[in-house]
Amino acid sequence: MMNSINNVELVNNLVNKTIEVLKYEVIDKYQVAYEVEKRDVHHLLITLKSQGWKQLSYLSAVDWIADNEFEVVYILFNWDKPVHIQIRARIDRENPVMETILPIFPGAKYYEREVHEFFGIAFPGNPDYQKQLILEGWDDIPPLRKDFDPQAYSDKKFPKREYPQDYSVTDPKNQRKAKRDARKERATSLRGGKTQ
Amino acid sequence: MKSTKFTPRTILSNKEIDRKWWEIGDFFRRNSLWLLMYCTGCCAIELPPAMTSAYDMERLGMGPMATPRQADILLVSGYLSLKTLRRLIYTYEQMSEPRYVVGLGSCTINGGIYHDSHAVINQLDQYIPVDVYVAGCMPNTEAVMNGFVDLIEQIKLKKANGWKKYHKNFDWYKKNQLDSLGEVIVHDEFHQ
Repeated sequence: MMNSINNVELVNNLVNKTIEVLKYEVIDKYQVAYEVEKRDVHHLLITLKSQGWKQLSYLSAVDWIADNEFEVVYILFNWDKPVHIQIRARIDRENPVMETILPIFPGAKYYEREVHEFFGIAFPGNPDYQKQLILEGWDDIPPLRKDFDPQAYSDKKFPKREYPQDYSVTDPKNQRKAKRDARKERATSLRGGKTQ
Repeated sequence: MKSTKFTPRTILSNKEIDRKWWEIGDFFRRNSLWLLMYCTGCCAIELPPAMTSAYDMERLGMGPMATPRQADILLVSGYLSLKTLRRLIYTYEQMSEPRYVVGLGSCTINGGIYHDSHAVINQLDQYIPVDVYVAGCMPNTEAVMNGFVDLIEQIKLKKANGWKKYHKNFDWYKKNQLDSLGEVIVHDEFHQ
């Protein structure tokens, strides 16, 4: 590095100058995350894009079911500075709507379709966010929501092989565990009886 | 010595002639099997050692083939999502008969580690008939080769009848396909 200020601080200054940050997290020296208001996302993305973070690496969502919120995550990548920037915004879970970022990053078209498919978040402004992308003919609630039960769906939809006998490999008497415990005890006694 | 010139010709029935031709056909077929490798899952990593000099599939007369219409074996290596299964059924129905299916790994048998996934089917033989399963997650390359030898043996003993089963129980297979997939037709926005 030639300059005295490091990349993370540089990003930090830039972001704090642009908008109000709710939460800030340095994941490591190559990754920083900012939680911002939903309405600030576009402004921040435009600013960062003009400063060199011109590639949208990823766009996804997280389902925080306890808070009744979705978190949309944008990851930006810069080809000159080794810092990935995550921008997170919380949106309502009952009526999940996030305005599209298509005018800023045209490549987000497919990411938004994917997020809509797996979380059910609407992206007004993206002309075909409702089209199916990965799942074909999906007939249930979006599968990456936390209240979706994949086991129940699988049981309902796909026939299972039935075995006449149980071929489970765990030993019923737990003999291995007893042996392992005995070995551990012996090792401890050899070490002078100290248990860690 | 009896001259062969005057030996009466044996009149074979059509059925017998047919059987003999099948015998000959099976002999050549089992010694030059062409694989269509449908590498859907991680078991596909066992194929490079099986194909190259380590185990050398070619000594059994087996080789890779690019198109379904010229292939004899459909090799399903690993888990199948609903999306892949649609394409797999297309591929299977394109293959010329007799056609054989080899399933690699526990995913094709009972779903393997993806047994509770919303996207992955559990049992391949509900949708298309399978002649040989190779168990394991993932199977050893020796096991894969052993599976191929088993298939050759089955063709020799006329037990590899999966494709006949598909004709016979076509309605049953179609019903299972429709139950799990909804529809088998592939809608592809990039090619329409």
